[in-house]
Amino acid sequence: MCADLERIPRTLLVSERSSFQNQKNQLSAHVGQHHFNYKVSVLLPECGSAPPLLDAALNGFSSFYLIRNLPVYMLLDQDFLQTAVHQGSVYGLSFGCRVDEDPCVALMPNGRLVLSLDKDSFELLGFERKKYRFTKRATSRYVVSVNFSDSSMTPGGRGYQRLLTGLKTHLPLVVDFLVSHHPGGTTALQPLLSRYDWSEHRPSVSTRCLANLPCPLLTSDLQSCDPHSVLDWLGAVDADVSCENSSSSFLSTMVCPEPKTTASSALNVSVSGFLNPHEIHHLIQELRSYLDQSQLASWVALTVHGFTDSPVSWAGDERSVLWSGNTFYSLLLFKDDTYQLHLATGAHHTCPP
Amino acid sequence: MRRDADKEEAAVYQRVVRKNGAPYHYLKTHLVLEDESVRLSAVELKLFIISGLKNLYGEVGAALTFDLLKYNEDTLSALLRVHSRGLVKLWSSLTLLGSFQGQACCLQGPAGVSVPAGAVRKQS
Repeated sequence: MCADLERIPRTLLVSERSSFQNQKNQLSAHVGQHHFNYKVSVLLPECGSAPPLLDAALNGFSSFYLIRNLPVYMLLDQDFLQTAVHQGSVYGLSFGCRVDEDPCVALMPNGRLVLSLDKDSFELLGFERKKYRFTKRATSRYVVSVNFSDSSMTPGGRGYQRLLTGLKTHLPLVVDFLVSHHPGGTTALQPLLSRYDWSEHRPSVSTRCLANLPCPLLTSDLQSCDPHSVLDWLGAVDADVSCENSSSSFLSTMVCPEPKTTASSALNVSVSGFLNPHEIHHLIQELRSYLDQSQLASWVALTVHGFTDSPVSWAGDERSVLWSGNTFYSLLLFKDDTYQLHLATGAHHTCPP
Repeated sequence: MRRDADKEEAAVYQRVVRKNGAPYHYLKTHLVLEDESVRLSAVELKLFIISGLKNLYGEVGAALTFDLLKYNEDTLSALLRVHSRGLVKLWSSLTLLGSFQGQACCLQGPAGVSVPAGAVRKQS
């Protein structure tokens, strides 16, 4: 029993170090494969206010749409497939659904539709499922995954008809659905927006100026500072948690990792909503430009959080529902055009690619 | 030659995978009391959690160190940090805390993650 009480939940942290000069660096791939982004947090040390271009990038994330009470079979609508799925990149995620209790739906830009269902719903739907990898005993979640670029999933195809019948007749799922499209926007999403109640939302931006911030001494060398400590510290800054405690403090003993320095000022900007990987990529390029021109800052940090209730993990792979925790990644950019990328995932998720 | 060596070093790709290496786990939780007007200070909340550990795991359990990183007195929501080995004990004692000063209570929605950056749930 003691061993069970001290059991450590499985965690995975993948740390990569590379350079933008390296033609084979995989940063773009990692950013692109993290489809569903809830929040982007940027930390700019030795900065009081963001320069105009960077400010424009932070405030320039495009709108997303919330469709209320969308019947899930409408995601198989031929017009929608033609204008949104097969052209550009569509991102869709069920909203207000808890991944361990409710049916959850995800639509990815590569044309994959994922349904995470409980046993009863899955049996009603009558469609084949992917084998769930993360538990040996009878699972409580069933994942149905289809790819609209497969021949069987083209309109009129056998798989398409079967899934459509299942979602229309046997299991008429209705969800609130977050959706965005790049580059089409509302035009590409008209087949859905014209038929159901929807609202447009802009990502919200919040800015905090921090004074005399203790910061760890960061270099591009992965060994220079323990990545777990750096991520803990970045999270503490973002969550407005004090790291100026003593070891004898009753409430908290959290401190900034050593060796450390003090930034006279720092800017912490958070953008939250339903964020597009293309725009995150653009933000990274603007951060590189900012760092190149800045005379004081030697690094900047960007953290991107996934959705806690997304039914998919990295690159659209399945995720566990047994433990809480979203996927996220933190990117540290340095003046010499190198970077550190830390990809974290919780217990029972697949390893980031 | 030296410039080529510098470029080569900058272009080096390195990937390290760390399994089960997170030293801490973070719990975001919210205290719900029968009398919603009651307020606790941060110190009182931490003492309350320690009493829960003591009830379930005795003196040794009560010695489990954890940090109350952030606390909102108005909403009674707290962000806790605990060594990964103590997560199960802390989480189970939070779940089984049932009364505070004679009134019914519960600690809602402990969500455990390995980094504080992950201790944010999608807003519903």
